[in-house]
Formats: sequence, structure tokens, C-alpha cells
Amino acid sequence: MEPLINDPVLLQEFLTESEELLQGADQDLVRLEALPDDEELLNRVFRALHTIKGTAGFLGLDPVVQLGHRAEDVLSNLRRGQLKLTQPIMDALLAARDQLGIMLADIRGGGLKQYSLDPLLAELQRVSSCVPAVPTPQDGAKADSVAHETGDSPDVSPKPALDEETAAVQPEQKNPAPQALTAQSMRVDVRKLDELVNLIGELVLERNRLLQLAKEIGTGRYEARGSDSPLSHSVARLSFITEELQAAGLRTRMVPIEAVFSKFPRLVRDLARSVEKEIELEIHGQETEIDKNMVDLISDPLVHLVRNSLDHGIELPAERERQNKPRRGKIRLDARQEGDHILVTISDDGRGIDPDRVLRKAIEKGVVSRERAANLSMREIYDFIFLPGFSTMEKATNLSGRGVGMDVVRSNLKRLNGSIELESKPGEGTSVRLHLPLTLAIMPVLLVKVGEEIYGVPLRSIIETSRFASQNLHRLEGREVICLRNETLPLVRLEALFSSPGQEADNHEKKIVVMTVGDTRIALLVDQLIGQESTVVKPLGHSLGQCQGIAGATVGGDGRVRLVLDPAGLLLSAAQSSSQEVLQ
Amino acid sequence: MDQQPNHEPIAPARADRQTGTEELRQIVSFRVGDEEFGLDILRVQEIIRHQHLTRVPNSSDFVDGVINLRGKVIPVIALRKRFGITQEPSDGQARIVVLEVQNMVLGFIVDSVPEVLRIPESAVVPPPRFGKTERDYVSGVAKMDDRLLLLLDVDRIMSVEDSQAVAAAQA
Repeated sequence: MEPLINDPVLLQEFLTESEELLQGADQDLVRLEALPDDEELLNRVFRALHTIKGTAGFLGLDPVVQLGHRAEDVLSNLRRGQLKLTQPIMDALLAARDQLGIMLADIRGGGLKQYSLDPLLAELQRVSSCVPAVPTPQDGAKADSVAHETGDSPDVSPKPALDEETAAVQPEQKNPAPQALTAQSMRVDVRKLDELVNLIGELVLERNRLLQLAKEIGTGRYEARGSDSPLSHSVARLSFITEELQAAGLRTRMVPIEAVFSKFPRLVRDLARSVEKEIELEIHGQETEIDKNMVDLISDPLVHLVRNSLDHGIELPAERERQNKPRRGKIRLDARQEGDHILVTISDDGRGIDPDRVLRKAIEKGVVSRERAANLSMREIYDFIFLPGFSTMEKATNLSGRGVGMDVVRSNLKRLNGSIELESKPGEGTSVRLHLPLTLAIMPVLLVKVGEEIYGVPLRSIIETSRFASQNLHRLEGREVICLRNETLPLVRLEALFSSPGQEADNHEKKIVVMTVGDTRIALLVDQLIGQESTVVKPLGHSLGQCQGIAGATVGGDGRVRLVLDPAGLLLSAAQSSSQEVLQ
Repeated sequence: MDQQPNHEPIAPARADRQTGTEELRQIVSFRVGDEEFGLDILRVQEIIRHQHLTRVPNSSDFVDGVINLRGKVIPVIALRKRFGITQEPSDGQARIVVLEVQNMVLGFIVDSVPEVLRIPESAVVPPPRFGKTERDYVSGVAKMDDRLLLLLDVDRIMSVEDSQAVAAAQA
């Protein structure tokens, strides 16, 4: 069939809407499995498919119509109570939903491909015909079933035309979100919001610059009036408004983390079935808001962690019973806001991770010396799991360990300026905590001077700053460390690492900035602390090469480019340079 | 041949200004050291005054720093260094020529940008094949009454630099 309408805008709208509907249908189906008699759920899935099928027909997307139609048949039989929801039916429906998802993705990617839909269509027909009472024309060709559907619809929904119309106009209403959450909203292209937030970012930078100018004028540099001048009042007001605007702009991009969490019920269901485990997924705090841009970026790491819990954490039902645990394992996803960041926790009540095993592997692998291994804290031991190559080895030897590619998870999080912590009790379970920034757009930094250069250190990774006292400086295994109260921290000399030009400050004038990188703390030695600033960090771009230790660049109050440090990268370069020293 | 300096907003060169059908190319000329170079004007986004460079530690060798171009951070390459000219420029004429190469915006630091020239296609000849290898990115030589202009192929500059950087990293 030739498309009746060949309109890219319409097609885009169809895709956006259908993808949302399918996502909703996914959750509803999984919920329906637990509550097979919930008519509202059933109706919602039916309407979703009906809308997709309707619009697809309009756009001439034949395979979508075909599949949607057959799935709709099954659902309409369920609705009329002529069919009881069973496992095979659910599997077939989910398979149909997935296939529809694939087709939509293909359309987005350029066009429909060739699909062998026959087995799936046959399966749908088979499950829907399990009830003899239904007078469906089984032997009919597709044309027949179309006729059957049109003849059918009046009693499935009394006003099909109206139904479809409302569906097309107000897709939000059919989303699985509870009624209370449906606020007035409109759909805006994310790129437009990004543009808006970018512009606000520029405004913030310019504001910073103006603040500095006003300050200079205030200190009499331009022989103007003091801090009481109309200028400084105006700048203060501008500054206030800018901040409000910035917050409002960022809020427009915030979406509930449900957007990420919603795919887990299905994922856990499918995975649990494939490994024959019984698992209950608990989700909390899905209303927690997160920057839209983060949604895509945290999805993969989360999937990975949940998979790990499921694969390696939760035991088989029989084993759990032997250990006096409930047969059903539990995985819990939890999100909440904590201060200026979001905390996402993935925990399970599985077998946990044996620290001795991890330690043995670490020693075997030469990551840590036997002597040092004796003095490591639990945290430090579990930290090995995130080392590249560590986890794959565990997998290969088929040990208990979770963590295939945990290093990837961690590096993904670092890219988002987030961090990850793991806690585990053998026999009782594991919990992984992800700390994520609220937004990627704005970062408060502490400005530090090294030589003649100024760098920004992300504030959220700073624990404290203090004066440098050379009597606290020691050498340990060829590395410089500094003793601060009862802690020994590796010392990173920024000017050496970056081979900074310019005169170093005297030792007694230097300062140290204590930073955390995941669970590790390091002390950064700098010449001077300048102050705090809210910045918009831009990536440097690939043309500059790797730039280890640099997270990005921002424009300072003086109009110059300032580099923002990446604590994780710094730690890495420091480790590399110190190991080179040892080798020499 | 038109050698008058031209600082007006520039439209693409049009053949109908000439008698006959010969194409005119508009070339931004700039000096680095004692030599004069040219870039096709369509490649040049803008020309700005020299400003403070922020050094980027651990970055590729061929990038000398980054600057702030109206809120955008762009990498900058000092052509002096690139062409092996060590002595410092004597006056405050230094400019940064901003252009887009392979989908990225970057700046070239040059000693001065004296003028925009219109050069007939026939005045451009292929570069002589004797120079050092780094002159691979000279796509042609424009002969004018009393001087020579080396026309740069910016795409090639970047690919030469890239391959050099890669080679350096592998060494």
C-alpha cells in the first residue's frame, strides 16, 4: 500500500507518540500480569495499540498495522472476557509489543525493513483462538480479519471514532501516570530547551563578568563610586534575576526519573524468567526529577547494575530456601534528591560479594601487594571491582563476582560528574549507590591558582581546603602523601602534572584541596585559592586530544577561558606518573 | 588584476565583473614570518584580534591553546610555530583567523592580515614540488606582479597535523 500521506512532520509525531504509547503499554502489560482482572489496564493497552494501528494505517505503514491489528484482536477478546490471560498470551503480547518497537526504531532509522512476521502473527492468532466461543474467522485472509475488526469494533468500544480522536489529541491522558500527576503540559523539542539553557549559560557567564567589573569599580579601580552605587545595585538585581532564570530554565528540562525506571519491571521480568529466578522489583522515588539529558546517559549503567544483581546477586529459589531466605529475591531501585545531587540506589538481598575472593583476585592480578592487602578497608577492597579488566577476569573464572564491565559503569558515571559506591554483606546482599548531579549544565567550582594559571575544581568533589604544612609531607611506596589529621592522602602536585609555567608560591603559602574521587581521597597542592564561581562547563572537543585531568572549559569573569579539572582523571595521571617514577 | 585592499563585507567573487568569463577567487592574505599566505575567503568565518590563550595541559601537540569566542571555546593553532618560525612578531598586528575545518571551528594565529585580494584563476599555479614535507598543505601559488602568495588547503593542514600527532603518539 502506498502511503496515503507522505509528511515527515506527521511521521515524526507518529513516532514520538507511538514510542510513548508503547513504553506505557510495556509497563501496563507487566502490571497486567500481576493483576489480570484490571480492566482499566487492559483498556489502556488496547487503546494504545489501537491508536498506533490507526495512525500507522493512515501513514501506510503496513506491517505495523498488520501486527497491531492481530495484537488488538487478542486484547479485545480479553476485554470481552472471552479469553483468560495466560502466560503464553502474555508472552505473545509482549513479543508483539517488542516487534512494534523494533519497527518504530527502523522507521526512525530510515524505513521499514523486511520482517518475517508470520510466526508471531500465527502465535497471536493461536492464543486468541484458544476459546471456542469466539466466532472469529480463523481461516480468513488478512482482508477478512480487517473486515472482522471493523465489524467488531462497535461492541469493543461504543464510539470508536471518538475514541481514536481523543487518543490522537491527548496522548498524555493515556500514559500510565496516575491522574494526580497530569498537569497542563505541552510537548517541546528538547533541542529548543537545550538552546534556551545554553543561552542562559551565556547570560550567567556575562553576569559573572559584569559582577567582576562592578567589583573593580567598587574598589576604586575606575575611580567611580563605591559599592553603594546604582551600578552595583543594578548588577546585584541582574545577578538575582539571572539566577532565577537559570533555575527556571533548568527546571523546564527536568523530568521524573520514572522515564528511566519504567523499563525495569519488564526487563527484570524477562531476565528473571530466562534464568529461572523469582524476583520482585521494588521501585521507590520514581517522581524524583532529573535533567532530561541525564536520562539517556544513566539508563545503560542502571540496566547493567540491575542485570548484575539479577544474574550474580540473587540466588536460585532452591538455594535461597536452603539459606532460610524467602524464595523470591528482591531488587530495589530507589531515587531521591540529596542536597544538590541525586542518589540512586540499586540493592538486592542476594548472596553479596565475598571480599576475600575479591582480594585474592586483586593480589593474583598484581593490583595490590600482599602486604598492603592486609590493611585495606572493605571499601578499598570493593573498589577493585571497578578496575578495568578486573571484572571480566572474574567472569571468565566463573566466580561469584558481579561486575562484568563495572569499570565501564564507573567511567560512564564519571563522565556525568557522578560517582559510584558499592557496599556488600556476604549472604545478605549488595547495594550500589550512584551519586548524580542534578544537571549537567551548571557546575559550581573553586578557582585555584597554579603557577600563573587558574583552574576550576568542581565543588562537589571538594571535601575541605587547608594550609600546606611541609612537616606533614611523607613518602610512601615512592609516592608523596600528606597526613591530615588521622588520614594519609596521596598528594598530587598540579604544577608538575600539568608542567605549568610560572613562579611557584613558597611552600608555606601553598594550600591543599582535599577531593574525593569515588571512595578515594586525594590532596591537590595548589599555589592559591581564589574563590567560588558558578560556571557553565563546555566540553573541549575531540580536536584537543585526550587532555587527561581536564573535564572541560568555561569562560571566566575576565573573558578568558578557564579549564575545569576532572578529579578522576587527575587521580589516574597521578597514579601513572608516580608509577613511572618508581620504575625509574 | 585587482590588488586594491578590500575591507568591505565580501560577496563571492563573480566573473561578470571581469570582461570575459574568467573566475575570480577572493583570497584573504595574511603574513606569517616573511611569507605571505592566502586562504579562500569562503573558508574564513571571521578575523579577530589576538587574545589571551589558555594552555591545555595534556592536549594534542598541534594545539597551542584555547580561546573564548563569544562564549564558545575554540582551539587555536599558532602558524608561526607550525611553520617553524621562532622569532616573536614585532608589533600588535597579530590576528586570529577563525575558520571551520572538518566540522570544527578553530583559529590560526597569524602575524597580520593585510588585505583581501581578488585573484583570477589563471594566476594560480600548482605548488613547486621541492619544499619541505610540511608544505604539503600548500594547494597552489598565486603569482602577482611582485610577490607570491601561498594558498593554504586547510583540510590538508588538519589532516597533516592529525597524522603527525598520531605518529608522535605511536613513537
